[in-house]
Amino acid sequence: MSIDHRRRAPKPGRRDFLGDAGRLSVLGAAAGATLLAAPRPARAALETSARIVVAGSGLGGLAVASRLARELDGASITVIDRKEAHNYQPGYTLVATGIWPASKVSDRNADFMPAGVQWERAFVAEFDPVANTVTTDTGAKIRYDFLVVATGLQLDYGQIEGMDPGAIGTRGLGSVYNGPDAALATWRAMDAFRARGGEALMTLPATPLKCAGAPLKMTFMLADRLRQAGTLASSKVAFHSALGNVFGVPVVNETVLNRWQGLGIDVSFNSRLAAIDIGAQRATFVSPEGERSEHDYDFIHVVPPMRAPDAIGRSELAWQDGGFAAGGWLEVDKDTLRHRRFPNVFGIGDINGTPRGKTAATVKKSAPIVAGNLVDVIAGRDPTQTFDGYTSCPLLLREGSALLIEFDYEGRLTPTLPGVDPLQDSWFAWIMKTTLLKPAYLAVLKGRA
Amino acid sequence: MYEIWLTLNILFELALANAGLVIAWLAALIVLTLLALRSGAWRRGLPAAILIGAVVAAVAFVMLPGRSGASFGELRYWLDWASLVGFAAGFGGAAALLAWPLAALFRRQRTARPLSP
Repeated sequence: MSIDHRRRAPKPGRRDFLGDAGRLSVLGAAAGATLLAAPRPARAALETSARIVVAGSGLGGLAVASRLARELDGASITVIDRKEAHNYQPGYTLVATGIWPASKVSDRNADFMPAGVQWERAFVAEFDPVANTVTTDTGAKIRYDFLVVATGLQLDYGQIEGMDPGAIGTRGLGSVYNGPDAALATWRAMDAFRARGGEALMTLPATPLKCAGAPLKMTFMLADRLRQAGTLASSKVAFHSALGNVFGVPVVNETVLNRWQGLGIDVSFNSRLAAIDIGAQRATFVSPEGERSEHDYDFIHVVPPMRAPDAIGRSELAWQDGGFAAGGWLEVDKDTLRHRRFPNVFGIGDINGTPRGKTAATVKKSAPIVAGNLVDVIAGRDPTQTFDGYTSCPLLLREGSALLIEFDYEGRLTPTLPGVDPLQDSWFAWIMKTTLLKPAYLAVLKGRA
Repeated sequence: MYEIWLTLNILFELALANAGLVIAWLAALIVLTLLALRSGAWRRGLPAAILIGAVVAAVAFVMLPGRSGASFGELRYWLDWASLVGFAAGFGGAAALLAWPLAALFRRQRTARPLSP
C-alpha cells in the first residue's frame, strides 16, 4: 500500500456549512461566525492519497465521513449506500407512541452527504478484507486502503414464524423498528387498542438490539396511553422477555421491574416469541426447555431478533468464534473500534460486536474516536484514542417524563451532568428526548459534534 | 468544554429548523434597533423592556410544560425546575431584546409631543 501523506494547514469551511450559512445570512456575520465555523481539528489536516471506503450512510457512516473529509487532505472517500432516505431512528418510539408525526423522522441523505465525498448508490454485497475490496450489488469492485464498516444491522422478522412486517398496524400488530411507516402504523394500532383496552403482549428477543430501551419505552408509553384513555384498569399488559432480565444494566433492570410492578405489568422471563398468527391474534412463546404456550392478544408489540447483514456475517470480517459469532457481528477491538485481524478496517455503530452500544449516543461518542484513530493509522501511528462503551437511553416513562440513563461497557451509570440522578423521573429528560436530541444528532451527522 | 460546544450546535440546529421565525425576529430587531439608535431614549426604554420580558418569561414558565405534553406535576426534580426557569428566561430575554428598541421609540415619541397651548 503506497500512500502519500503530509501535514498541511487546515482546510477552509465546507460547502455544507456555507449552504446552511446562506439560509441564515441575515443573522449577521458576527453572530453566526462562532456557530457556523467548522470546529478546527486539534491538529492540521493530514495530507494523504489514501482511498477510504465507508460502507453505510447512517449516522455512523456519515459522521465519520464528515470528520475524515475535514481531517484529511487529498484522500478519496467513498460512501457506499443505496438509501436515499435518512431516517432519524431515535425518533421512532416517539412516532409509535403518538408524540411525533412520521415526517419528523424522515430526511434525505443527499442533504447530509459531506462535500468532497463520493456517493456510490449501491449496497455492499461482499466484503473481501484480504484483497482490500468490496463488491457492490451492481457488480462493481471497489478497492480501498482503509475501510469503515457502518452498515447497521438487519431485522430478522423471519425468525418469528408467521410474522409479516407488511401487516404491522393491522389486527393489533405493532413493531416500532421497521421504519417510519411501521412506527406510525404501530401508533394507530396502539391508539385503536387503548380506546377499548384488552390484552397486550410486549416482547423482547434474546439477540443484541439497537436501542435496547425501545421495547421498554413502548411498554411504559402503552401503559400511559391506556391510563389516559381510562382503560388501564380493565387491561392486562404482559411483557415476555427471551432473557433472564429486561435490560442489561442491573440497576436499571431493577428500576424498570419495580415500576412495572406498580403499573400492574406482568413479566415473564425466558419466554421467546416463536410464532404469531396475525389473523387469529395469537402468539406462541417458547421456553429454553422447548415448552410452548399460546396467548391471545388484542395488541402485540413485536421486537424482531437482530443480526449483522449477511454481507458481513459471511465475510472474514465477522467474529469467527465467541459470543458475537452467532450474530455475525463485526470483530472490532472494543477500545479502539479497529478490526482485530484487519488493521486497516474500523467499525462504527450497530454493526460492532462489542459488549454494549447500539444507540445513536454511542455513535456520538465513538465517531470522533473512530475518525481520529483511522487518521492515526493513516499517518503510520497506532490508534491513540479509546472508547469506553458509552451508551445512552432516554427511557420514556409516560408523556412528560423520562429517565436519562447513560452507562459504559461495565454497566456503570455515567451521567454527563454532575449531580444528576439518572434513575429520577425527569421532565428535562423528556425535553431532551423530544426537543434536543435530534438537533444533537444532526450536529453529529455533520461532523460538528 | 465539549458540552458547551454541543449546546451551541444544538441551538444552531434548532435555529435552522425554525429559520423563518429566527430570521423574522432578527430582522425586526435590526430594523427597530437602527430606528431606535436615533432616538437617544435608550435608557428610558429599558424598564418597559424588562417588564415585557418578565411578563413573557412568566407566561412561558406557565405554558411550557403543557406545550411539551407534560404537566407541572411532572416537574419533580431540581433539574426540571432549573431547566424551566432557563427556558422561560430565554423567551423573556428574546422578548425584552425586541421590546427595548420599541420602548425607546415610544418614549421618544411621547417626549417629542408638543405641549398643549
